[in-house]
Amino acid sequence: MVTGDVETKGRIKEIFYLGVLLALSAPILVVFVLLVISSFGNQMATNFDFSAFRFTLKNWRLLFEGRMAITGGVRENIWLHFLSTAVVAGGVAFLTTFVGALTGYAISRIKFKGRKILLLSMLLIHALPGSVLIVGVYFLYRVLMPQNLVFIRYFSFFYVILARAALEVPLSVWLMKGFFDLLPWETEWSALVDGASRFLVWRKILLPLIKPGIVAVLIFGFLAGWQDLIYVRTFLIDRTLATFIESNLETEMAYMPLLAAAATFYLLPTIVFYISSQQLLFKVYAGGIRR
Amino acid sequence: MKKFFVFLLVLVSVLMFAKSLEEGIIEVGRNLEKNGISEVRYSVWSSGDPNSVIRVQGIVEAARRINNIWSKNNIKVKITIRETRYELDFTQMYQEFLSKQPLGTAGDFLVNSYVYIASLAEEGYLLDISKYASKYSNFMADFYTTQVDAARYKGGLYGLPQDTEARPFYIRRDIAAKVGLDLIDLDKKVAEGKFTWLDVYKWAKETVNKQASEWGLIHRRGTAHPDLMQFILAFGGTLYDSKTNKLVLDVSAVYKWLMIEHVFSKEKLLPSDMMAWDWAKQVHPAIVDGKTLFDIGGTWYWTEWQTKNYYTDPKTGQTRGLTPEEVKNWFYYTLFPAGEPGKKPVTLSQPFMWMISSKAGSQNPKYAALKETYDELAFLVVAMASSSDINAIHSIISAHLPVSQQAAKLLADEKWLTDLYNLNIDLDDSVKTVLRDIVKATVHPINAKFLTDVAYMLEYTNFPPMHPMYPKLAAIFAETVDNVLRGRMTPDKAVEFVIGKINADLDLKQNILIVGQIPADWRFGD
Amino acid sequence: MKDSKRSLELWAFLVPALLILVVFYFLPTILTIFISFTPLRNWNIDRYARIFAGWRNYYRLFYAIQNDPSVRAVFLTTAVFVPVTLAINVLGGLALALINFFVGKRSNALINTIWLLPRMTPIAVYSLVWYYFFHGSEIGTLNSILIKLGIIHRAVSWGQEFLPYGAWSVIIFVNGLVGVSFGMIVLSSAVKSIPTEHIIAARVDGATDWQLCRRILIPQIRWHIMYVATWQLLSLLTSYAHTYLLVSWRLVDKSYGTPWALYVYELAFTGVFDQGLAAASGVFLVIVGAILGWLTLKILGFNKLVTEPRGDL
Repeated sequence: MVTGDVETKGRIKEIFYLGVLLALSAPILVVFVLLVISSFGNQMATNFDFSAFRFTLKNWRLLFEGRMAITGGVRENIWLHFLSTAVVAGGVAFLTTFVGALTGYAISRIKFKGRKILLLSMLLIHALPGSVLIVGVYFLYRVLMPQNLVFIRYFSFFYVILARAALEVPLSVWLMKGFFDLLPWETEWSALVDGASRFLVWRKILLPLIKPGIVAVLIFGFLAGWQDLIYVRTFLIDRTLATFIESNLETEMAYMPLLAAAATFYLLPTIVFYISSQQLLFKVYAGGIRR
Repeated sequence: MKKFFVFLLVLVSVLMFAKSLEEGIIEVGRNLEKNGISEVRYSVWSSGDPNSVIRVQGIVEAARRINNIWSKNNIKVKITIRETRYELDFTQMYQEFLSKQPLGTAGDFLVNSYVYIASLAEEGYLLDISKYASKYSNFMADFYTTQVDAARYKGGLYGLPQDTEARPFYIRRDIAAKVGLDLIDLDKKVAEGKFTWLDVYKWAKETVNKQASEWGLIHRRGTAHPDLMQFILAFGGTLYDSKTNKLVLDVSAVYKWLMIEHVFSKEKLLPSDMMAWDWAKQVHPAIVDGKTLFDIGGTWYWTEWQTKNYYTDPKTGQTRGLTPEEVKNWFYYTLFPAGEPGKKPVTLSQPFMWMISSKAGSQNPKYAALKETYDELAFLVVAMASSSDINAIHSIISAHLPVSQQAAKLLADEKWLTDLYNLNIDLDDSVKTVLRDIVKATVHPINAKFLTDVAYMLEYTNFPPMHPMYPKLAAIFAETVDNVLRGRMTPDKAVEFVIGKINADLDLKQNILIVGQIPADWRFGD
Repeated sequence: MKDSKRSLELWAFLVPALLILVVFYFLPTILTIFISFTPLRNWNIDRYARIFAGWRNYYRLFYAIQNDPSVRAVFLTTAVFVPVTLAINVLGGLALALINFFVGKRSNALINTIWLLPRMTPIAVYSLVWYYFFHGSEIGTLNSILIKLGIIHRAVSWGQEFLPYGAWSVIIFVNGLVGVSFGMIVLSSAVKSIPTEHIIAARVDGATDWQLCRRILIPQIRWHIMYVATWQLLSLLTSYAHTYLLVSWRLVDKSYGTPWALYVYELAFTGVFDQGLAAASGVFLVIVGAILGWLTLKILGFNKLVTEPRGDL
């Protein structure tokens, strides 16, 4: 009886919280739902006046044919853009997480000279915006790049991933340090006393425990790479979906519903990536107590 | 007799030009073959509205024609176009070209607005083709000289004209009839300076007062460049001083322009939020649905109204494109009228140019040793892409004006138009694939006639200044017009604002001459 | 021997980050400072990198700030934009993270995904959806909703009327939504990582949700909150991308829709690609950012939060 009462109360409370959340999210929901609707229409749906609005799959068909106009335009390989976007985003996600997990651990767990300074500078270098640094990064690229076009193409992926990941590293170091801090020292103490190397402890014991943190950092890295514009546009030979959309979104000429389709297509993988990483989180915490 | 001579002259010049270009191509091909090169790879970048794909496909076609010439002469070299990149936003493409050209990863060919030649040539990013222009002078003779001159910068020639356009002043025939505006020979009256902005104002007011249409005038949204700059010119002002190579702020002309915006907006002849209107949902629908008497537009509107569904058909309630007949029957067009009596009508062109990167072909073998040959080949590719038929195709499908006499002639050739419509012409298959649906949507005698009819406007044309600081000045104008239309600034305050902005930026201050003053006794409106 | 092994291990942990710091921050920063004394433009390193321009770029920057009639509006806008957006980012992120904690995982994933959308969307598309949302005519989503509900009777140009508040509200709203997701993800991951024993203990003691938040959750994630606040502060100081298109599409008034970072960006990166000026203004911005960041850390208690690690054996 009593437990049932508590559960009902809990459910009412949850519905209330959920209602508040949805109300707060309403504007975002509205604009993105309209965006998706527009991708299936003959015009942009903006003001709930659907009198001249017609449902059509044409935008999506054109998109997968790689075209950005109803009449005219050239055909592009949209899947190639998709692939290069995925490579950049995946690379950035992996690199930032890896570096963040290493450094975050060291700062959280090891005493060394300059530890505080390192941590502080990891925050303050965020005051260096990517749009300013890029001139210097360009300088370096100029010096380092190979001459052969085929090599440049691969090198440009490599360099974009490194340069873009670098912008996210301060974030991941700080986040990781925070997550390592939450783990009690006892977790690794016995292993270390037994003579295991720090590296082994880090990999086998600690990393599995901070999966939520890793996932959070992965998500940020992935999104940063997925949507980057200025670095990709400056260095990468291939195009990503973001630069493809950006360079075709021109208010005077563009056929907007087609861009709505492109934008929806662009958003899908990130949503899938995000939700699946959330699933991973839930598996880890399935046994945990929430309420 | 005279006609015959002209014909003969043309024939001879065509033969000569064809021969000399071909000779060059053979010579270059032999040279490459001798040096053991069997393939030359190029990439081409371009941008613009979706119908202007010839800006990349022209190079593809040119490569095929050159390959044909080579194989006919048993030269075992071929050109491969490894990348054709086409985007809508030409400023972004320019930005990308800027950053990638120094790295050698930008396109070998670029088609973009001629205004960028100033900065690109200044930095040495473009190939100076004046040497080849004099070598193949017969070929160059076919271009309209003014259009070629637009590509000159500090003594060099940095591009070949790809297209140009005029900015017609459109008038709705049905609304004009309702209020009694007589359109017969109006274009002549405009050309003679007898129909000025004072009359435009009068009729716009009449129309709105009689509720014949919602607005009297609609113009470009968002920016002042290029359309609205016509006001400055129509009041006899100027934007550029060639003696000092400085931009000019003509205070009097700018004041008069802003006064027109002010009066039109105050009397609700022009929307006060014009600068924030949406192109696809407001600007074009307002024009094609007959909600305005006048419209400051461009030649490309003509086919844009046909290929995009801006018009809401009152019978079905559905949106659709206009038919060529509808466009012709509904819209009258003239030059941009003179600002006031005593001034001249104008139009404005912003030609697009074939440009060649100074590193064109650098990804090919033995580039350093054969740079001369590669440079010449790049010029020949662009020259081939300027063939009159390719240029004529571009004009008709994108409603831009041709840049050469031969291309203009083709547009008047009905048989050629029919062949083009059916794609019974000598073009690369891949080019045909791209063109197929555009050709069906745009090739029509009415559209060809329109282009021929507006061609006279080029005699009145002006070019926006090719000056590295011009974009900054144009941005200030855009902000100012927005403020005036919304009633936040009176014209004299607005002029003060512009001057203040210019003086606050050291680069602008050094590069802009401020001339004239606000005319004290000048009145506009009732 | 043991010492050298330990220090080797330490280096192994630090080398990747140090390399990145040096190659992608330290060197470019030096180069940026260097470039700020050259007339570099249009990416033409070959031509301009060896020319010394003295303080000219800095002089031009300050001259513009001093003489531009709209610059007062720009500073006022920044002074309002940064703190208000920051507050929305941090408090909004915290609120979402905490509510997330109390609702089931399914709704959790749904809400998180919705709030991540602004961050995931390409900037141009993101600007485009808000452009239609706030459009000042009947085609605008907000206008059409309010007109249907009978709250307003004519379309309102949200970003252009009621200056300066209209323009400010729009840019703060649009930027605020992007930042909230950052706080939300960081803080809800942090909340999830709190050892469950603490929560069980509090629940057993009969704590309400509110008490749980105040006594356990917020104190435990103080580190993360401080971090989010400082990080977002620096982000906002240097962010221009989400405002840039709204201003250039004239959805919001230019003077009151332009924060400082955007002003600098427009001076330096549009039109003439004046990278020397960009570098100078960048250096200036970085100094201001670093001072503000350092102050924030001082106020939020950086030293107290960086506890000495116990990991030394």
